[in-house]
Amino acid sequence: MKPWLSILALAIALVASVFLWQKAHQPAGQTVVVYVSEDQVFSEPILEDFERETGIRVQAVYDTEEAKSTGAMNRLIAEKDNPQADVYWANEPIRAEVLKQKGISAAYVSPNAADIPPIFRDPEGYWTGFSARARVFIVHDSVKSPPQGVRDYTDPRWKGRAVIANPLFGTTTSEIAALFTVWGDDQGRAFLEGLRRNEVAISSSNGESADFVAAGRYAFSLVDSDDAVNRMRQGKPVSMVYPDQAPGGLGTFIVPNAAVLIRGAPHPDAARKLMDYLLSPETERKLARADCAQIPLHPGVAGPPELKPMDQIRVMQVRYADVAQKLVEIQPLLRRWLGL
Amino acid sequence: MTRRAVLTLTGLLIFVIGLLPVLSMLVQSLHSDGHWSLGAYRGLLASARQWTLMEHSLVLAALVTALTLLLGVPLGLLLGKTDLPGRRLLTGLFVVPLLLPPYVLAVSWADLLGPEGLLARIAGPDAVQAPTHWLFGLPGCVLVLGSVFLPIPMLLTMVFLRTVDPRLEEAARLMAPWPQVLRGITLPLILPGIALAAVLVFLLSLGEFSVPTFLRYDVFPVESFVQFSAFYDFQAATAAAVPLAGITLILLLLEGAFLRERTGQLRLTGPGRGWPRIALGARRTGWVAVAGFLASVLVLVPMGALAVQSADAGAYEEALHRAGDSLVRSLVYASIGATTLTVLGFLAGYLVHTRALPFWRSVDSVTLFLFALPSTVIGIGLISLWNTPWTNLVYATPAIIVLGYLAKYTVLTSRISATQLGLIPPSMEEAAQVAGAGWTRRMAWIVAPLAGRGLAAAWLVGYLFSLRDTGITMLVYPPGHETLPVRIFTLMANGSPQLIAALCLIMVAASVVPLGLLALVPRLGRRLQRI
Repeated sequence: MKPWLSILALAIALVASVFLWQKAHQPAGQTVVVYVSEDQVFSEPILEDFERETGIRVQAVYDTEEAKSTGAMNRLIAEKDNPQADVYWANEPIRAEVLKQKGISAAYVSPNAADIPPIFRDPEGYWTGFSARARVFIVHDSVKSPPQGVRDYTDPRWKGRAVIANPLFGTTTSEIAALFTVWGDDQGRAFLEGLRRNEVAISSSNGESADFVAAGRYAFSLVDSDDAVNRMRQGKPVSMVYPDQAPGGLGTFIVPNAAVLIRGAPHPDAARKLMDYLLSPETERKLARADCAQIPLHPGVAGPPELKPMDQIRVMQVRYADVAQKLVEIQPLLRRWLGL
Repeated sequence: MTRRAVLTLTGLLIFVIGLLPVLSMLVQSLHSDGHWSLGAYRGLLASARQWTLMEHSLVLAALVTALTLLLGVPLGLLLGKTDLPGRRLLTGLFVVPLLLPPYVLAVSWADLLGPEGLLARIAGPDAVQAPTHWLFGLPGCVLVLGSVFLPIPMLLTMVFLRTVDPRLEEAARLMAPWPQVLRGITLPLILPGIALAAVLVFLLSLGEFSVPTFLRYDVFPVESFVQFSAFYDFQAATAAAVPLAGITLILLLLEGAFLRERTGQLRLTGPGRGWPRIALGARRTGWVAVAGFLASVLVLVPMGALAVQSADAGAYEEALHRAGDSLVRSLVYASIGATTLTVLGFLAGYLVHTRALPFWRSVDSVTLFLFALPSTVIGIGLISLWNTPWTNLVYATPAIIVLGYLAKYTVLTSRISATQLGLIPPSMEEAAQVAGAGWTRRMAWIVAPLAGRGLAAAWLVGYLFSLRDTGITMLVYPPGHETLPVRIFTLMANGSPQLIAALCLIMVAASVVPLGLLALVPRLGRRLQRI
């Protein structure tokens, strides 16, 4: 054999091996591709159960903490004209709304979503909420009279003693946007100014805020309920307060997960089955029992012992579509506020 | 004719695989709503935060460079020029951090000094407040990246020591003791190698984002990654990456102008009989203790912390359950990556060695530029180029990961090949040519077999760097094809420390086992050591 033929054969063998490897890992049956923003350590067992129970192979792309839980969604945007994913498991509904507005998601009303409260569903079916976190105060045990509402951040009593995660990212940015929709822009701006005036510290994430409070560096912080439960389970000297629960009060901001069907999904049937599975009471039960301690939205499903059931929480009444719109609108303001 | 065609194709491949994605990204950053625009760059220049981040990056890179040179050059002299007992073992130990994804070392230090770490468990939470504060910030980043990149000046010092003509040192020794000979003769002669090490460490530290992110020290490459991943602002992400590319380009141009003739392709001598080695005499024990202490602090202690942290009955079982398939994928992709890197690197190295085509210097410069470029830049470039319905055959398969490896690491296999080819007497190929053998036959039956051990070393280096890659793979891996470093990275979000530590140690084993196997092939090991 001529040497150049050997080289060509080697090159062909290499390319063939890549494809054979690819083929070998393509199941004989159905496949579903899911992009996931929920932490892998919690979402992967659910997807494995789905594989086991349905025989449908799941191929997943997980987010990283460094991508501030939005990497998968942004990959979906990048692939708009060439979709690779069937389903997006968002860890909050705001970005699911952004996907709807960008024409990346498709409508699907799952039969399993019938008894999920309407506030946690897109009316047209472009996303459906399940298993939620509440935005709560984590408070150090040394605090005798804990804060009761988000406006306490601007109370001089707490000057220099409170911390909040960077409002450009994650659930904190969603909550700030929600406050703007409820209060209006003027009060929203005044609140941000109040935070600055009251020397509220900015941390890099909710987890870091919870650690700061647990270590006694700050008196309290707004965090996700799983961050607070996690520290309580670790035996840290902290407790949890649901903000704005007084009658007529603002209510606590709730952040459900969201299941989204992707427009042009390569495997639509398997995608709908996965959507149904994610939205089932059984999935909510598992996520409630897991370390992420999420609150079920289906009535009658037992939640984590440390958290109130959803029907006992005064919920902040917002339209997530409005929050998503406001979030985009206030980005420049938030960047300026942070001095960026 | 065949030679010209193959070498031109090699240059073209390097351009398409490596440079085209970066250029495509650059063009997209200048294009907004169908018009040419500098908006993304104006936004970048107007932001005070960007300047602060760049300052952080430059300070971090400078400190890491200073630390690695201060420790690496003396270590290189000690391990490469003296009769220190156990120098091979110590060299191997110091090299281990370079073989791992850098964040593994950051995790191990956090397991030791973090609020939930070993020290906290032994001495109580108050005892770790200061070390934790120190670790999560600039000093921690310098320590971790210093450990990771220390082998670069150390190994380059060892390699360049072998380019020094022994007669010069012997002549000097007639007049002066070793310390003076080292200062007056040896160090000035290996200065280009030390300068190359400084440039490489500086650029690699400048482009590194996983360690600063884990240790919560905001740097410039993180901004580019976040712009892409958190805001999906492709233009801003590219614009944020351009200053890094610019600094890389400037430093490499300077390297090309002042050092390339001395560093591009080495003429190695020794070590052999008569090669001058410094006899340490009675101070041997003291020097062994110093080197052993340093290896313990920088390598053994963090690895030990991982071992202790992962010493949970179920940790390894869970790690293999969660990441066993990722481990297999990593090994397969790294093997394919290493093989393609060896073939491409051999041809590129041949081009650089023979200077057969006028663009040989461009090929060498481009591969070095891509190696020093931050991974996020290459990753974003690959997405922007290959994410189309017509190129799904590449974008939706592991081929995109292998392309990332080729774009980033070809310079390693190319330079190893060029150095190896320099050791083959040209008369061998010339004799075959006179006998009527065509170029492909000469390459296949004369040059490649004679360079065989170098090619094996190139394969191993390609394998190790492909295996540890996180930055590019994390951005481009197709669904269901994540590698072990990526899986560790994503599991870090709320994964238990025991699980993460076990996964990190599995990663260490996957990297170090091939080196152990290499030790079983003594001739190959010696060849790698020479290269």
